[in-house]
Amino acid sequence: MNSTPSVLNRILITVLGLKLLAVGVLLMLLASVPAVAAWWHSWSAGVWNTVNGAFNATRFPGRSESWLWILVALALLVLIVLMVAWIAQQGKGRSNLLAAEYDPGSVPGDVRIGGGVAEQALKHALAGRPDLAGATVVTYDIKGFPALKVRLQPRQGVAPHLLAAEVAGLVKALEAVVGRRIPVLIHIGAGARTRFSRAERVR
Amino acid sequence: MSTLQQSPRPEDPGADSTGAAAGGRGADEPDMDRIIYRETHSSRAVMATIAAVVVVALAAYGLLEAAVHAIGQPAWLIEPQVAAQRIVALPAGISPLLLGVIGAVLAMLGLVFFLHGVLPGHRARHVLARGRGGAGPAVVVDDEVIASSLARRARLAANVTPEQVMVVVSQRQVQVNVRPTSGVPVHGDRVRDAVKAELGDMGLEPAPEVRINVAPSGVIGA
Repeated sequence: MNSTPSVLNRILITVLGLKLLAVGVLLMLLASVPAVAAWWHSWSAGVWNTVNGAFNATRFPGRSESWLWILVALALLVLIVLMVAWIAQQGKGRSNLLAAEYDPGSVPGDVRIGGGVAEQALKHALAGRPDLAGATVVTYDIKGFPALKVRLQPRQGVAPHLLAAEVAGLVKALEAVVGRRIPVLIHIGAGARTRFSRAERVR
Repeated sequence: MSTLQQSPRPEDPGADSTGAAAGGRGADEPDMDRIIYRETHSSRAVMATIAAVVVVALAAYGLLEAAVHAIGQPAWLIEPQVAAQRIVALPAGISPLLLGVIGAVLAMLGLVFFLHGVLPGHRARHVLARGRGGAGPAVVVDDEVIASSLARRARLAANVTPEQVMVVVSQRQVQVNVRPTSGVPVHGDRVRDAVKAELGDMGLEPAPEVRINVAPSGVIGA
């Protein structure tokens, strides 16, 4: 429901996994197969000579350090910033706006209905139910459209389809009040609160 | 609440939006199928964060050594040239066992990341049939909730205590294990009908098949 970049996550995790896997397999082969060790010697010595030559060719005039190190440092800095940006993308997508529409009435301006209206109304309507151990309502922004996620934690033994039908009725009433259709996802889940609480015996 | 009071005038837009809903998915509404897919499949946020932190830690160390080298100071842990030469000479200079173990650990980590990225990542959840012609809200239910609901129904049908019923719900299968009370027979068909009726009411997607397993030995004093 949130805008976690799941495709990007998959790609980057796969790439990192493949790299780690390749390095690990190479190390294991180096430790066990002599032929691989001979190949590794010739190949990596060639690479190292090239890199060393590049560092030697790019020294500061009159000093022994290469300015390539500064480039390396900058590249690593960019990589760190990219990784932090990637982490910041996880779990984003909360929003505060339920509806925003031009009001054709006599008062100029738009009408904006905050997500708190739906969240408070639904939470209050669900608060007294004995078959629920908890309920949370969150507004999300999905590609520019507001949507509601209702997370319910029923007690043990509650029939999920009946619960969903009753909450769907509440959502319908909310839609009538707000005046437009709201995309809603109802997630009926289990957690520690439902697992260790008493079962619902009377309905 | 003040914003709410401005809205009891929506006869026109209300009729408009229900018309759009009846005609299917309008352009003013996100794709529900995509939302349901995202809700029933893992987003791999935890794995992604771990991977990013690992890369950041490695890059931070590299950055430190590169910066120290660029300003001509002695290295912090190891001189990059020395490290590179040791890597080039690798099978020598370290015990093969240690090298193999390091390689195995790295390969194992890589495999974990790789499989998390490649496998479909189903969550233990089912989608309920959307009520009344797809107009109702989308409903996603944890398998645990389905299991406890089915267990309640099976328990009532078999007339046993809650401890004598165990239900396991997986993607394509529901397994109901019943231990009868000693001396009181349990009719497996009756339990199966009750569980099937409950599943039919739920309309799960994908629909699982039901297996009833009545234990041959009973429980005393239940």
